[in-house]
Amino acid sequence: MDTPPFHLRLPASLESVSALLDALEAYSEAAELSPGIAARLALVAEEIAANVAMHATGATFFELRVTPASGALALSIEDDGPEYDPLARAAPDTEAAIEDREVGGLGVHLVREMTQDARYVRAGGLNRLSCALPLG
Amino acid sequence: MEITETQEGGKAVAILDGRLDTATAGLTETRLLAMLEKGSVIADLSEVRYVSSAGLRVLLKAAKQAKATGASFAVVGLQAPVREVFEISGFDKIIPAFATRAEAAQG
Repeated sequence: MDTPPFHLRLPASLESVSALLDALEAYSEAAELSPGIAARLALVAEEIAANVAMHATGATFFELRVTPASGALALSIEDDGPEYDPLARAAPDTEAAIEDREVGGLGVHLVREMTQDARYVRAGGLNRLSCALPLG
Repeated sequence: MEITETQEGGKAVAILDGRLDTATAGLTETRLLAMLEKGSVIADLSEVRYVSSAGLRVLLKAAKQAKATGASFAVVGLQAPVREVFEISGFDKIIPAFATRAEAAQG
């Protein structure tokens, strides 16, 4: 079966993050994605969408597109918030002792580690993060 | 997210059921930190199929609070996708994880 595409545009709010995850669970099931890939897809989408919902003052929407490609899912997440490159954030020190571990930066770290070719562009007043989620 | 409290070998157990994500992090943090004020806590994640960075932050706060008060905080029953998130984040090195509640109660 060919994997179908997914597209959803939602208001930039925390309620929308839950709605996005619910929609992605249904998509993953319909597309017969493995539980591991489904979890990674949900995680990458949540991390970016939650960032927009919580921090992008003035953003009105975020929009996720999943386009099946050869051996991977191509992801694109856009929002109309202020210019912000989440990939510019330094990676957290995952070797630090518990006292020194900080609570920030983990989301982008997970996105970077689980995807390939993550890139950010600002175009036409939108932030766009794109990446590839390998299916193998 | 449903949280049920029980006991195992004298330690408090929080059985979590659902996604530990942006939407459920606040509620889960409140419950876990309240339980930790009374002593050690085991978080049973067998029914948690998904943990995002918002969920990781809750578990890190719980582990830090336990460390500060001399209590213990452990997790049990990590599903494969959750274990992957733990490993990528380095949480497998800072939060003790066990297969079962009984093992966590002894550890």
